[in-house]
Amino acid sequence: MKKVSILSVCGSGTVTSSMVAGKLKEKLKEKGYIVSTTESRPTEALNLAKSGRFNLITFTSPLTPGDYGIPAINAFACLTGIGEDEFLAEVLKTIENMQK
Amino acid sequence: MDVDLIKINLDSVTDKEVIKELGSLMKKKNYVKQSYIDAVLHREESLPTGLNIGDTCVAIPHTDPIHVNMPAIAVGCLKNPVKFRSMIDPERKLDVRVVFLLAVKDPKKQVELLTKLMDLFKNVEILKEIETADKTESIAQIMDKAIS
Repeated sequence: MKKVSILSVCGSGTVTSSMVAGKLKEKLKEKGYIVSTTESRPTEALNLAKSGRFNLITFTSPLTPGDYGIPAINAFACLTGIGEDEFLAEVLKTIENMQK
Repeated sequence: MDVDLIKINLDSVTDKEVIKELGSLMKKKNYVKQSYIDAVLHREESLPTGLNIGDTCVAIPHTDPIHVNMPAIAVGCLKNPVKFRSMIDPERKLDVRVVFLLAVKDPKKQVELLTKLMDLFKNVEILKEIETADKTESIAQIMDKAIS
């Protein structure tokens, strides 16, 4: 199993980021990845992203502008179901590109 | 699912009224602290929670765990659609028919529940069942089945 570390960002760093994190853990496990997640608020995201601990960011609340240095993917599809497969495909593609 | 936290034919006309109505059900049974309702109202202003699922719209107001005593969900089926601003595009207003007010205590421990809830919010068929239910008990049953 390959390991992936995801920073999940939402408005208060609790509810929807945990929902997205749960979904990613479940779906990526099926693809052979062990996912660890950290939930955060948009205001904490930049510092956390720069810590070097994460492979990518998913967000359900707009990120404050800045140089995050890692890919950031909009996760609204996880909440509405509209475009969820595309979202998961994008996350997977991003992770696979990193492994190369 | 606590059936006392379900309200059908709710005739509130604003998002704030819906939150106060459902929040007071939670407060009455001590699921949440005194500060909860104001905290949810405040959060909804800056970070709205309306979601367009395609065929219908829901809202999932919530706030920080510090305002919560015990985890709970309150469900409100609205008599007439009420405008909630969209989480994805806060400038947009959505006609919401069902509101799920969430009291989350420990998101880490509740990940499984939250994931199931998320699957519920975007399941149009189940939402329609909840929208058209004529008894609070039937909604409790639907919810229990969906999130247990």
